[in-house]
Amino acid sequence: MAADELLLSECVYLSVGEVAAASGLSAEEIDELIDLGVLEPAPHAGPEASLPAHAIEAARAVRRLQRDFELPLVGAALVLACRERIRELEQRLRLLECLVPEAARPR
Amino acid sequence: MKYKDYYQILGVPRGASEEDIKKAYRRLARKYHPDVSKERDAEERFKEISEAYEVLKDKEKRAAYDRLGQYRPGEEFRPPPDWAEQFVRGFGGGFAEGIDLSDLFGDLFGGARRARTRGFAMPGEDYEAVVHLTLEEAARGTEVALDLNVPEYDAEGMPRRAPRQIKVRIPKGVSHGQKLRVPGKGGPGVNGGPPGALYLDIRLRPHPLFRPSGHDLYLEVPVAPWEAVLGATLEVPTLEGKVRLKIPAGARAGQKLRLAGKGLPKPRGGHGDLYAVLQIVTPPTPTPRERELYEELARISSFDPRGRFPGGS
Repeated sequence: MAADELLLSECVYLSVGEVAAASGLSAEEIDELIDLGVLEPAPHAGPEASLPAHAIEAARAVRRLQRDFELPLVGAALVLACRERIRELEQRLRLLECLVPEAARPR
Repeated sequence: MKYKDYYQILGVPRGASEEDIKKAYRRLARKYHPDVSKERDAEERFKEISEAYEVLKDKEKRAAYDRLGQYRPGEEFRPPPDWAEQFVRGFGGGFAEGIDLSDLFGDLFGGARRARTRGFAMPGEDYEAVVHLTLEEAARGTEVALDLNVPEYDAEGMPRRAPRQIKVRIPKGVSHGQKLRVPGKGGPGVNGGPPGALYLDIRLRPHPLFRPSGHDLYLEVPVAPWEAVLGATLEVPTLEGKVRLKIPAGARAGQKLRLAGKGLPKPRGGHGDLYAVLQIVTPPTPTPRERELYEELARISSFDPRGRFPGGS
């Protein structure tokens, strides 16, 4: 992993071990999140999966949800999926708000 | 140190059962957990709630907390003289200046202090902070100085809070809601463990003109009715100065005109786009002559803006 600051975006790819080390989850739990479809490895990945850097944020959120709500991995993954859906909808809402004149926006 | 009323934070009486404490925690965690909450102060509230729960769910810590006595929240207090000898393993001296209640229960009771003094390696704590940037700062990159109040340990592993300023370079091209990981800028590792990382949550401050959506920017452009009908070439602002924008004849309100590459820069090169969103505005106080011309237009025009309504207008 780069020693410099790292923008957690889709442009940089990391190994399962790097995501595990940064998130506090085990490599097995990261693999399980991949199996559950929460983390999506790069399509060009070889024998070992590589994950976009924003997987760190998702894995850290799973760990927080597990710890703070005493959830099993699959439960935390479900909460995360709902949260991501809400974020996508919020992004769409923000985009639509950009198209509405200031004076016409609901307060 | 300042007193925190953990029972009040969880909203339970001092004699609450373990089950009641757990229920109260779950209810509050569901409301304030930063991963699921939209409350403005969710992060701060959840820190308090989880700190209170960590102490009250543990019989030993709860007994030690109860023995501290009861004060008003925020009131300065000292633990009773024999308190530390009774509850803190290996306690050999006074409490450091600046220690707070969370350090007392988080480290003195847990394994952290023992690990520090017994010599096995532990990675440093990860820090998290929110960074508010202007659009201009996000576009060109900047350096921010964060003032954090972080736990520190003396040679005997005794914790205290200390202010720490951390400078971080923000690369150009960050967008609202993105996370930045800065390795090595978290807490120091223990016994040779690696330092923690600093996680920054990027937030863009509202801009008086531009609204960001990812790396694209949106700009509301008011146009006069005649500019919309006849077309016009206007000067509009961008983050890099003014550019000319051609309004086609017959433009509609809400129409988006794209200025390619005039949005925010992207971290791996290239730029988002700037969208000019047209708003047709009318003169608030038309002059008598303007009014006369509008009246004439109303008389001679065959345009029916409500032609789609049943039976026309």
